Amino acid sequence: MASSSAWAHHSFAAEFDPNKPVKLKGTVTQMEWINPHSWIHMDVKGPDGAVTSWMIEGGSPNALLRRGFTKASLPVGSEIVVEGYQAKDSSNRANGRDLTFADGRKLFLGSAPNDAPDDKAEK
Amino acid sequence: MNPRSSICPMLSAAAAVFAFAPAAAFAQAVPAAAKVATATSAQVKTAHRTADGQPDLEGVWSTASVTPLERPPDLGAKEFFTKEEAEAYQKKMLAAHEVVAPGTYGDVHYNMAQFGLEKGQTKVAATIRTSLIVGPTGRIPPMLPAAAQRNAARAAALKGHEFDGPENRTLSEQCIMWGSEGPPMTPAAYNSNIQIMQGRGYVAILQEVIHDVRLIPIDGSPHLPANIRQWFGDSRGHWEGETLVVDTTNFTDRSAFHGASENLHVVERFTRQADDRILYQFTLDDPSTWATSWSAELPMSKIDGPIFEYACHEGNYGMRNNLSGARAEEKAAQAAGK
Repeated sequence: MASSSAWAHHSFAAEFDPNKPVKLKGTVTQMEWINPHSWIHMDVKGPDGAVTSWMIEGGSPNALLRRGFTKASLPVGSEIVVEGYQAKDSSNRANGRDLTFADGRKLFLGSAPNDAPDDKAEK
Repeated sequence: MNPRSSICPMLSAAAAVFAFAPAAAFAQAVPAAAKVATATSAQVKTAHRTADGQPDLEGVWSTASVTPLERPPDLGAKEFFTKEEAEAYQKKMLAAHEVVAPGTYGDVHYNMAQFGLEKGQTKVAATIRTSLIVGPTGRIPPMLPAAAQRNAARAAALKGHEFDGPENRTLSEQCIMWGSEGPPMTPAAYNSNIQIMQGRGYVAILQEVIHDVRLIPIDGSPHLPANIRQWFGDSRGHWEGETLVVDTTNFTDRSAFHGASENLHVVERFTRQADDRILYQFTLDDPSTWATSWSAELPMSKIDGPIFEYACHEGNYGMRNNLSGARAEEKAAQAAGK
């Protein structure tokens, strides 16, 4: 499959740094349900107890809407874990490579892409 | 509207619905030469009519496809798969998912499957074509030397300045237009959804990405004067039997579909073949770019609406972030050089 960056509206490679992987655990403070990309705002508590705010870039909301995921599906206060890469300018932004709830469930409903059954071929 | 209720059919088709057209349509679609097959009355159900009697193209449609625009070279002159080969190919393409290695630029993205953006999560109308481009080569004709030089000069002028400012970024990053919007329309990586509406004297095509409407007069009026150039050109339509034919000229040289010039001329043909299928065909000629015209076709499949808003620029943090990333890299390079 083609490199994912070729699928994007804009260059993630110009925006985020592959040498700055991050794993963030925190609570959702806002979800911006906007195109071309959704943005999740979250508060992350560090080991010293200090709270920092992060913005996480995700995919197009339109596809999520078609699969039943709405803005209301991720209410403020939800605990999530984000794995991605930090912005090149070192600000508190990251791409949301993998997004999970605190209990390990995947955040979004993306169905398995490789379960195309044979018996649909003739329909 | 409750989005959940509206997406149930999509969920049931999450692994893609194969909707092969009747065998007769395939037989008809096999052209002897590199020419778009013209739909005949045998292919068309005449039951689809708007209230005022026009052939009915209305609805929400997907141009999603797993078929490449150009035929992979290893398939040579093989223009069509057998039905069995086509099924196997589509199954393979729909099952494919992105593979990236941690710590690489390819990994700096969001998980396509989680966001419902992989091909296998989308309804795709099936075809036995090996490429959307029809004919023995299945590829865009070689570019004329002058056109290649023109495009190379433009690329050279941009090289090293890609991140100087927003005007140097791609048209899609500027939220002006996506290359898939055309005309001609081609499958986008995702959200390949359009809505066709027909009114008296006009056909409108709304494209979800990135929320542009082509308003096509079908009243016999002529094209705009040649000095008026538009991102999507100037489209004029008319009916030929069951087929809507749309003629587009007056492009700018900036949209440059596959390296085309402002002299690009596109003829699109829309033919309703079934309740859930439109055959979309197009032919391009541009004497400033290619020595010969070329044609392609793809089936559109009907999907459940609505088309969602895609207010691109309202959320275009990406532009700012791309530029701030470039400035950070420049500073780092400067510091390293000291």
